[in-house]
Amino acid sequence: MPAENPFQDPLRFERRIPPCAVVIFGANGDLTKRKLLPALYRLAYDRRLSPGFAIVGTSRTPLTDDQFRDKMKEAVTSFSEDTQLDEDVWKTFAEGLHYVAGDLGDVGLFQRIGEKLAHLDEAHQTGGNVLFYLSTQPSQYALAAQGIGAAGLQHGAGWRRLVVEKPFGHDLASARELSDHLHEVFTESDVYRIDHYLGKETVQNILAFRFGNGIFEPLWNRRYINHVEITAAESIGVEGRGAYYQEAGALADMIQNHLLQVMATIAMEPSASFQATSVRDERSKLLRSMKPMTPDEIRQNAVAGQYGPARIGGEDVPGFRQEPGVSANSNTDTYAAVTLFVENWRWAGVPFYVRTGKRMPKRVTEIAIHFNNAPLAIFDGETGDGTPNLLIVRIQPEEGISLKFLSKRPGAGMKLRPVSMDFNYGSSFGERSPSAYETLLLDALLGDATLYTRQDMVEASWAVVEPIQNAWHADGFDFPNYAAGTWGPAAADAMLARRGHEWRKP
Amino acid sequence: MAATPPEKILKELAELWVTTSKEGGGEAAQGVLRACSMTLIVMTEDRDDPADLGETIAALMPEHPARTIVVRLTGGGDRSLGQRVFAQCWMPFGQRRQICCEQVEITCADASLGDVPSVVLPLEVPDLPVILWCRSPRLLAMAEFSALAGMARRVLVDSGALPDAPAVVRRLADEAARGMLLGDLAWTRLSRWRQSLAQIFEDPHNTGCLAGSARITVCDAGAITTRALYMAAWMAAALEAAGVSPAVRIRTSAQPTFAELECGSFHVRLERQDGHLTAIVNGLSQWTLMPKPDDYLLLREELGIVNHDPVFEKTLASAARFSYSTGE
Repeated sequence: MPAENPFQDPLRFERRIPPCAVVIFGANGDLTKRKLLPALYRLAYDRRLSPGFAIVGTSRTPLTDDQFRDKMKEAVTSFSEDTQLDEDVWKTFAEGLHYVAGDLGDVGLFQRIGEKLAHLDEAHQTGGNVLFYLSTQPSQYALAAQGIGAAGLQHGAGWRRLVVEKPFGHDLASARELSDHLHEVFTESDVYRIDHYLGKETVQNILAFRFGNGIFEPLWNRRYINHVEITAAESIGVEGRGAYYQEAGALADMIQNHLLQVMATIAMEPSASFQATSVRDERSKLLRSMKPMTPDEIRQNAVAGQYGPARIGGEDVPGFRQEPGVSANSNTDTYAAVTLFVENWRWAGVPFYVRTGKRMPKRVTEIAIHFNNAPLAIFDGETGDGTPNLLIVRIQPEEGISLKFLSKRPGAGMKLRPVSMDFNYGSSFGERSPSAYETLLLDALLGDATLYTRQDMVEASWAVVEPIQNAWHADGFDFPNYAAGTWGPAAADAMLARRGHEWRKP
Repeated sequence: MAATPPEKILKELAELWVTTSKEGGGEAAQGVLRACSMTLIVMTEDRDDPADLGETIAALMPEHPARTIVVRLTGGGDRSLGQRVFAQCWMPFGQRRQICCEQVEITCADASLGDVPSVVLPLEVPDLPVILWCRSPRLLAMAEFSALAGMARRVLVDSGALPDAPAVVRRLADEAARGMLLGDLAWTRLSRWRQSLAQIFEDPHNTGCLAGSARITVCDAGAITTRALYMAAWMAAALEAAGVSPAVRIRTSAQPTFAELECGSFHVRLERQDGHLTAIVNGLSQWTLMPKPDDYLLLREELGIVNHDPVFEKTLASAARFSYSTGE
């Protein structure tokens, strides 16, 4: 009997999801409507789902299956960015949509879900394969996992997996506590902690760029790289998420997870293979090589900020404290900038400047790798602005890679000026890029955890971030300290200036 | 013979970019971006509808940007070669910069076919793969074909357009054995069939049913086709690799085209009828829409492969062996 499908042709066939059911906890929530359903529908549209694919949505709101289908149809129509609703595809997809209402604290809910899954297994031949997706409030993760465990739903004829959304705790202790709760029911290999940044095409392309090409890796170290900037700027404010954001802040909401994962991808050692364990081991090793800072170091190397009111483009924009749902004396950081160091032979002494903020001049996420200057300036006096080589990996909005170098200006004399060599993802590949959620859901359904975060990575990130949080709270804040529509507080510029650097204005 | 020196074409290509950049430099525009990931040589006949072919190439360019060299065979006996150069441009959604690819069209009388490599070789873009798509069944039989195929890393043919499928498969297998990297659109047309079959065996329960011996039946309407030979050979090779001994039957009938696999009590049948592909697994059937793939879809898939295609190569070798025993 063959161990694997003998008819596979990986060169031509796309990976297809085996028959299975997805149970979404929090199915009436924003994430389900904006991201999960549009992504699952797109997978159906692309014929990546198996015919028996089914979804069981659950939340407290009483709904019939048909009402749930109507709501989800509306969500797919409203929030699919580049996919029009095809009535034929939707009809088949909607037949697999089911709903079970109930409270996560009610044992009966999980029994009903179990009955529904048994029914679907019979009707849709899902083979007992189930993916549980926790799209609820983070405070309910443990409760949902316990409910699944008490009803015995973590075991069945097929595979059972659990996807958890960030935040994975609010500090190291709570992250460990959450993992302990999840591990009471699921083994670590069946827990998929989703970080949607890792599902972005350009972040995955960092691996291709670094390890698929021979010319960059020899330069990828302290001898040639002077410093690295990672920026994730948003032009919008908290957009109705004030209450949630007030509890999290920029450092915990962005740096602890997304940006440290991006940094790990940029700085990790090459993995022996592209197997999930191998890649995740290297990412984890990098995160563990980051030096947690002392309170004194934190004062020098970390800056918190909060935006104040301003007038942008002729419109008055409120400060964070004036946003709905936010306390008038909130001390939440809407901006965070940190200088991090990796203590290994490759990166010793190279500063990694990581910043994120809301209400910045534009929406942009990018990594800028600053190379050392040429060792000898033979064109003294004629060198344009003397900019060193710069490699920019743009994650959003226009995904691509640019290399900046100096070139001779046409004409007499040796006048140099910086020029840019651009690779634009959208122009070079006419194919549509899948959304991060499509990629990550597909991976979870196929059992590929390469792009998912592991417990040890979460703990290593918190080990770096938690001392900063503690020091900031101990020292207090003087907020607001930057105006909406600017690139953050002056202290963040001073942080780089101490090492003779300055932030790029992307 | 009218001379067509490659230097002249290269000069025209350079001038094309100057002109295109000027034209694309309107007030709101951001100039023109040249995109190229390969050289695509298309060998075609004069009677081949230029508008159809032009549309196919234009549709392919956003995904497989290429310097396309269309060589149009005019037949006849006079030694003549002619050429023109132009750009295929498009504006990606939401962007202000045009992306353009180069296209060179060469017309060539049969008697000048031997001159084509000397014109085309200097036009190939350095360091990028060269793919030759032979749309002319007549050319496959001509002595010059080998020299033309030698210019490319990979050669795409359509054996579906050729008579005497068993002989064609043997010829292609010989070329492959001599080192030619081949693609066959008749094989590409089977992708949906093959994917449907593979999908059935994604379920480990179904894979578990594959043991001992199996019977494969492939049936095509009319005469034996390369498609039928490929399908049978592919199924047999996959089963053999999995330790199952297959008995293969390829036949023709008035029935709809189908492929069938029986292994013990497990039975799968794929059947195409009225634009649908029906998969019947142990009596349970499920159908999907399967419109006839056009050249764009076939080429889109094939141009994604610029090196070896191990599954096809294995299938081709296996199909050549079957070709001696067909005709039941």
